[in-house]
Amino acid sequence: MKDVRFYALTVAGLVLFPFVIHPIGGYAGLATQILIVSIATMGFNLLLGYAGVLSYGQAMFYGLGAYVALLTVSKFFPEHANFWLALLLSIAFVTIVALAIGTLVVRLYGIYFALLTLAFAQMVFFVVFKWTGLTGGDDGIQGVTAPTVPLGFTSIDLTTPFPAVDLGPFGNLSDLHYWYAFVAIVMVLVIAFFRTLTRSQFGEVLSAIRENEERSTFVGFDISRYKLAAFAIAGALTGLSGALRGLYETSTAPDSLTVDTSGNFVIYAVVGGVQTLFGPLLGTGLIMYLQNVVSAKTDAWRLIEGVLFVAVIVFLPGGILGTLKRKPKRTARAIVASALRTSETP
Amino acid sequence: MLRLVNFAHGAFYAIGAYVGLIVTQQYGLAAGLIAAPIAVALFAVLFDRVLLRLFYDKEPTAQILVTFGVAIVVEESLRFIFGGTTRPFPLPESLSGSFNLGFASYPTYRLLLALGIIVVVFAVWLFIERTDYGLIVRAGVRDRTMVQLLGGNVKLASTVVFALGAALAGLVGAAASPIYSVDPNTGFSFLVPSFVVVVIGGLGSFWGAVLGGLIVGELGSLTTLFFPAASDVVIYVAMALVLLVRPSGLLGESEIIRG
Repeated sequence: MKDVRFYALTVAGLVLFPFVIHPIGGYAGLATQILIVSIATMGFNLLLGYAGVLSYGQAMFYGLGAYVALLTVSKFFPEHANFWLALLLSIAFVTIVALAIGTLVVRLYGIYFALLTLAFAQMVFFVVFKWTGLTGGDDGIQGVTAPTVPLGFTSIDLTTPFPAVDLGPFGNLSDLHYWYAFVAIVMVLVIAFFRTLTRSQFGEVLSAIRENEERSTFVGFDISRYKLAAFAIAGALTGLSGALRGLYETSTAPDSLTVDTSGNFVIYAVVGGVQTLFGPLLGTGLIMYLQNVVSAKTDAWRLIEGVLFVAVIVFLPGGILGTLKRKPKRTARAIVASALRTSETP
Repeated sequence: MLRLVNFAHGAFYAIGAYVGLIVTQQYGLAAGLIAAPIAVALFAVLFDRVLLRLFYDKEPTAQILVTFGVAIVVEESLRFIFGGTTRPFPLPESLSGSFNLGFASYPTYRLLLALGIIVVVFAVWLFIERTDYGLIVRAGVRDRTMVQLLGGNVKLASTVVFALGAALAGLVGAAASPIYSVDPNTGFSFLVPSFVVVVIGGLGSFWGAVLGGLIVGELGSLTTLFFPAASDVVIYVAMALVLLVRPSGLLGESEIIRG
């Protein structure tokens, strides 16, 4: 019963979201972009919020997702350009990359983990940037025709607008494209996946590792494998996000792989609140919305963003959502014990 | 030194570069090279006393996040004050020529820079390894409480080391700018390769950092010579290989990875 209410509210929120953003200066396309980017932020949250490691290289998975998806439909299989194939190949490729890099980095801690992931992201950036023949180098990949979404009996062109219905101050229903509906459905699936994952034994063990690594090792968890799994899952989600963004924009550029992109995921998640399900969504939405409104007026947006970020860390250590719903604090010992219990019951 | 690699180091470097640039334009290069480390050290002490202090007892990720935030604010403030364009850093006439070494000629400034770096590296090494103060610092990294119980002022020592590290970054920022030129992104583009150097050499190892620097420099120039397209990638490949074969770096002690 609780689950039904949870999903009903989630779906209602996603249906209302693009209309709420309209009267406050957003636009329907922004709602779609926010949802897409949020998927990557949720992946990042699995690392920082649950596994307790700060990855500063998520842009490599995001950018690679976009590149692989666009190359799949434009260069690898142009005759059989297929939306699902593009998504599938992106996620598969990014997951493999995440597993390879994860193997090298999961043994490191704190700032070393952050800087090492950053260094690998720089490596990926330079490879893509210099491999002009495949990736278009500085220009990126432009003007790809995004394929329609085959559904067996029919196929849908996601750029089709909804029928025109005037909604007064909330805009017009035709401002929205099918893209939004598609991304919203993906978002519901991602939320369900994330919710199940963090409540499972896997999520409990990750929390235990975050709280007390030594104790978790002593009670018998192989922490490197759990961290590697979290790294791969976060990578896969980020790759999915990048692939959707690439197909949505029908283009991508090396920008998607830079330090700034990686930093954005950090900012979004921390401002919204790590260790919460909806914090990353809230943070991504808030910052992308503010960026959209503020940078129209002044070019000091990045400075404002930086100050805002520092202010949140100092005054709202749990992020916005984390501060709003502060749970009774469980001790590290209780968390490890709970992880043990869940792993004993099959 | 040992645990103070952080995102703000890029910002320190950039501040040093800008202070160096401005003071040099007014009073000459020597003044610029003195002013930059002092200004950056002051900034670092301020940053430590006002912001970082709040995070001493929190988990390490919170500290990383706050240095990252400050790095953004510094970078963007520099962009806002000085504009986003790249600035050349002119050298005085007397230093811009070449010097004949007998077997090859080398730009005078780079030669002086190399000598200067050797002197600074040696001075830092002396300070950390051979003075009583350096002893407190090294001990403080290993066991903070014990050093405090024995009467060592770890708090003061860590602020001093923080300021010293920042001053070094500022000095390098000012000194390297005639070669690399100055723009607000300078900080980040300096941070990542310097971290790669530390990983290859061994985290927390003084001579490891020196060795790593030499390796990275040589690899970069050699690949530029033979396969220019890969010159930016090769140092990361080297880093991945080192991590695979020897996770603690060439000269590192493994325990220090648990920062």
